[in-house]
Amino acid sequence: MAFQTIAGPSSGTGSGVFPTLVFVQGNEQRVINLDHSPFGVGRKVDKDLVIADPRVSRDHALIVSENGVFSVVDQGSKHGTFVNGERVERKTLERNDRLEFGVREVAYVIFNPQHGTTNSAREFLSQISGMHISDETTDLEKLVLFLEAARKLNTIGVLDEILMTLLDVTLKLTRAERAYVYMKNEHGELRLAAGRNAKGEPLLDDKTISHSILDDALKSNSEFVLTDTSRSADLTGRKSIVAYDLRTVICVPLRKPQVHATRDAEAPGVAMSAEVMGALYVDSRFASRDISGVSNDILHAIATEAASLIENARLVQAEEAGRRYQQELAIAASIQQRLMAVTIPEVPFAKLAGRNLSCKEIGGDFFDAVNTDEGLTIVLADVSGKGVSAALLASTLQGMIYSQLTAGMPLTEIVTAVNRFFTDKNIGEKYATVIIARVRDNGDVEYVNCGHILPLVVSNGEVQRPAHGNLPVGLLPDAKYLSDHCQLKPGDRLILVTDGVTEAENARGDFFEDSRLELAAKTGTLEQIFTAISNFCGGTPLNDDCTVVELMYTGS
Amino acid sequence: MSLKIETRQAEGVTILSPQGRIVFGEEAAAFREHLKRVLGSTRQIVVNLSGVSYIDSGGLGTLVGVYSSARAGGADIKLTGLGQRLRDVLQITKLVTVFEVYDSEQEAIASFHRGAA
Repeated sequence: MAFQTIAGPSSGTGSGVFPTLVFVQGNEQRVINLDHSPFGVGRKVDKDLVIADPRVSRDHALIVSENGVFSVVDQGSKHGTFVNGERVERKTLERNDRLEFGVREVAYVIFNPQHGTTNSAREFLSQISGMHISDETTDLEKLVLFLEAARKLNTIGVLDEILMTLLDVTLKLTRAERAYVYMKNEHGELRLAAGRNAKGEPLLDDKTISHSILDDALKSNSEFVLTDTSRSADLTGRKSIVAYDLRTVICVPLRKPQVHATRDAEAPGVAMSAEVMGALYVDSRFASRDISGVSNDILHAIATEAASLIENARLVQAEEAGRRYQQELAIAASIQQRLMAVTIPEVPFAKLAGRNLSCKEIGGDFFDAVNTDEGLTIVLADVSGKGVSAALLASTLQGMIYSQLTAGMPLTEIVTAVNRFFTDKNIGEKYATVIIARVRDNGDVEYVNCGHILPLVVSNGEVQRPAHGNLPVGLLPDAKYLSDHCQLKPGDRLILVTDGVTEAENARGDFFEDSRLELAAKTGTLEQIFTAISNFCGGTPLNDDCTVVELMYTGS
Repeated sequence: MSLKIETRQAEGVTILSPQGRIVFGEEAAAFREHLKRVLGSTRQIVVNLSGVSYIDSGGLGTLVGVYSSARAGGADIKLTGLGQRLRDVLQITKLVTVFEVYDSEQEAIASFHRGAA
């Protein structure tokens, strides 16, 4: 085994000089510095990396360095050497390459993983473990070590790792036997967050600690509580101290770091009353592990640094959670877009085009087109509100309408069913304006308008607005829906828009309005309508999605 | 937030005068909360919308939502002071058939007393 011993804090994390190998076997993970070449891997006990598995050959492979370039060389192994799943004889290694030796999946090695991953915390952890604190190390040097550790940890965003490392460092510095971190939950109760013993083993059970000292430490205003049970007679009455023969207990309340630490420094009493977010508890059971001599400097450093470490870690964690949430939203948005993507049906009697101009947020507009024996049906809907909730409803609405259209349901029955669904489900003040228009090859249009902007029919350069309408869907459970008809001649255009178009605002706060829409629709195509909107708005961003659908009836 | 709501009493009727925009988000939420509070102590409400420059689809949803729950609870909300834009919107959405709309606040108040007589 070639664990490099770190001489002191100045040598950095190690991986800057030598690449590292992270060896993973089951739940175990170990960081190895690749500080010499060749580096042997095999089942033989004298190998630099010994993998005790019959599928690993005795002399399995070498990792060699030539001019700073690392390669893995198979030594004629029976079950092969693999890099990223591919069997190799010799292969130059890149960062994050996954190496497997005969035994697949069960044990593998990652070559020189990037920093900033959880591995760096583990790597650092293992190096702390490899750190030797001699008896000659002064308290000041210990403090430097600790601060160094704290500084490095600040770059790592995993709370659990930080807690574990904090415990290891604390154990190292205090030479105590066991260490625990407690964190307050949302109800203000202390809960065990992590525990370690001096051997680096996790401690999951806190029954044998002195909870009374823990409680005392939290209630007291002191920075830390150091209790030597052999010297205080009044402590002998405490249950756990007697039962478990606890010799020395150190308890450090972790207080939320104050934002104006420098100003508060003048009034330490104020700083001390800062919110307690948890506690660090360290104890030793045996006389041989007397930790009562731990210097106050170190305890002071632990008390202040540990709290700010955890607070930092929590902030990073919250940021990470926020980032993941954003990612999820982006995925949702892309699914939404794919659902909303319309394949425009080809029909001999009409040409259809639709375009959506989205504002920044995910919106609730959608348009769909379905061709059935009854004719070409176009749907345009606008769910009230914006954001994810609107998008979710829009998807549901689209699915319902689409399936009922393909099933050949009458338009009025479709919107009645949708209205019933929305009001039954009691989604709160969410509703949708919907217009569904079915165009037959003879130019007959049946439309049902549920609170939507009136459609435009452009015929011989004149704009008509078929005015029949109903209540929006989703507002009132007993709403009745009726449809109406209009007639298209060859060359006529039917245009449907959402209110994002008529309510597009310019810098003065004026709306695009129906008048400008009618003017643009009278002469212009779909693209020209959008040009008119963007000319009108100037640089003013859209408040709402703008969707325009245009059907040109060409005749049968 | 671009919405303020004035409340006063006249002839036993509570008159709300929202000023600003009733739009999806905190404005609509504030309007809903305010109306809910008022509904706790009175059953006769006139909402004078003359100070409202704009109601978007979300705001309209709130208006209908509050209206429906008031009716369900035995209270009544009447509207007055509608600008041309809001009249158009209520026309397009056919919500004119749902709301009781009056040309003046006085008429809206009087309608309650007629009903009681």
